[in-house]
Amino acid sequence: MIVIMAWRNIWRNKMRSIVIMFSIATGLFAGIAVLALYKGMMKSRVRTVIDAEVGHLQVHHVDFKKDYDPKFVLEDGEKLLQAIRFLPAVKIVTPRSITSGMLATTTGSAGVQVNGVLPEREYAASRLKEKIVEGRPFDPVKKNEVMIGKKLATKMKLKTGSKLVLTFTDTSGNIVSGAFRVVAVFQSDNAPLDERNVYVKIADLNTLLTSGNSFHELVVLLENDESLEKVQQQLKKKFPAYHIESWREISPETDLLVKTTDQYSYIIMLIIMFALAFGIINTMLMAILERTREIGMMVALGINRVKLFTLVLLETIFLTLSGTPIGILAGWLVTGYFNKYGLNLSGMGREMMSSFGFGTIIYPEFPVDKLAGVLFIVAGTAIVSCLFPAMKAIRMLPVEALRR
Amino acid sequence: MNTVIDAHNVSKIYNPKTVPVYAVNNVHLHLERGEFTALVGPSGSGKTTLLNMIGGLDKPDEGTIIINGVDVTQLSANQLINFRLNNIGFVFQSFNLIPVLTAKENVEFIMQLQKVDKAERDKRVNLLFKQIDLEDKLNERPSRLSGGQQQRVAVARALASKPQFVLADEPTANLDSKSASNLLDIMAKLNKEENITFLFSTHDQRVIERAGRVITLVDGRVVKDTASVSTRHEEEATIK
Repeated sequence: MIVIMAWRNIWRNKMRSIVIMFSIATGLFAGIAVLALYKGMMKSRVRTVIDAEVGHLQVHHVDFKKDYDPKFVLEDGEKLLQAIRFLPAVKIVTPRSITSGMLATTTGSAGVQVNGVLPEREYAASRLKEKIVEGRPFDPVKKNEVMIGKKLATKMKLKTGSKLVLTFTDTSGNIVSGAFRVVAVFQSDNAPLDERNVYVKIADLNTLLTSGNSFHELVVLLENDESLEKVQQQLKKKFPAYHIESWREISPETDLLVKTTDQYSYIIMLIIMFALAFGIINTMLMAILERTREIGMMVALGINRVKLFTLVLLETIFLTLSGTPIGILAGWLVTGYFNKYGLNLSGMGREMMSSFGFGTIIYPEFPVDKLAGVLFIVAGTAIVSCLFPAMKAIRMLPVEALRR
Repeated sequence: MNTVIDAHNVSKIYNPKTVPVYAVNNVHLHLERGEFTALVGPSGSGKTTLLNMIGGLDKPDEGTIIINGVDVTQLSANQLINFRLNNIGFVFQSFNLIPVLTAKENVEFIMQLQKVDKAERDKRVNLLFKQIDLEDKLNERPSRLSGGQQQRVAVARALASKPQFVLADEPTANLDSKSASNLLDIMAKLNKEENITFLFSTHDQRVIERAGRVITLVDGRVVKDTASVSTRHEEEATIK
């Protein structure tokens, strides 16, 4: 009977209840939209990190990453490459020769990381070809071609056809330089990365480094993300002499960003629900004060405090939860639409988005995994919101309430 | 006969530390089972305050109220809630039915609080609605009932818990004469046939005339405690 009473009580003032349900639905929709947007952004960021930057796994000489000294090449690299290539979970493996050096033009210089790549494999592993905004891919025949990021090109006033000089130390520690011609300017979703990295063909770099056919890095892309831990363990066990890292270890800032964004999402949800709680409290207080006589009468007849509290709690929960499905449905429909067609944030500027490592088209994803948490927050809001009105109700003295 | 209400030296004092006002002043009241008693007096004479104290809704500042052997002035708030539920039926002036429940649910509600099982509840509801002659209004909400019908449902609700007695605060005040007469007929019948004890506070001459006993309060004191006119007439007729 208490449940029936609670349900019917919320419909005594239909307009008031509908308004509060609508605000709960709107708040919930806003919260879900934020969660979906964050989830979409994080997923896109992780995908960019894996598919266009570092791959799932990277293999280096154990000492290479200490100083990026080019003498620490992967010993028996070709054998290692072949061994990894034929693992069933592996999709692509590509080698890179890497060195840090100086890029110089007639107008200035900048510190860069020079990546020597096998063009066709690199295009598949890091989508380098897709990122070209000006110029053309590497010519298989021509020598000393370089691809530079748009940010670096702007900074150094370079364009396709411009000449530049790359200076670095070779494997013996000698300073070497090479003149390169810009064949392409690329732009990824990570502007800081574009500013630091230049790409040349591995053969050109190895000639300058005097490192023969060796290389410093193997980038491994897997068939799916789920097999990452397993493959990493498998490789570590099989090749203990190498330093094998996952993208989480290579790009800890991305991993941290994903984790902290989850927390931010919940904080935003809590703030929205906290604001809504005042509306719920106000509505429930009005409902209680309007029914002072009735509550006094029920206490006079013998309803105890626990039942009275339960009545107010149930009314608040019904009121809150009635708006919940509407909010969730609206969130599901809208995020579903944008998940399919994408949310174009180019209005915010590609430069700005890419400086944080994000693309301009975001595909929000309905946060199914966070739905339980969202419902928990909503239920918590209802319980917290009912406390004050419920205390008001159970503290009423029947003799005074009946006089009203 | 056995004692249902036994109030001794009961006083209710407002502003005891500044200018004390005695709403009820040293009242003695003794009610036996089956009495049909009217508490009368001008406005502000202390009728409702005395009823509230007897009903355990308010505590006296002095004196004791013993109901069915229990001193209600010594009970805690929670014990009082339970005591009221199981021992006292209330009929209020302005009906006070729960508007979101049907007539049947209003009566059933009390029995649910008492944890009476469904079969017994249905049995009692049917009997009570037969007694108040509203069997066809079981599933109507209070808003669809007339004032008289609502007050009859309130009487059924008061009796649903099988109380020791029923306290009715001005039960006919908001009713037209036909509805009031109808309600009084029902209560008188229940009193006569089921030996249910009723204590009313009232201004209504019709209630006073039908009461078996009339207690008059003035300024919080009992100034007269007599058999009613009708009872006196009946007694005189019997003597002659």
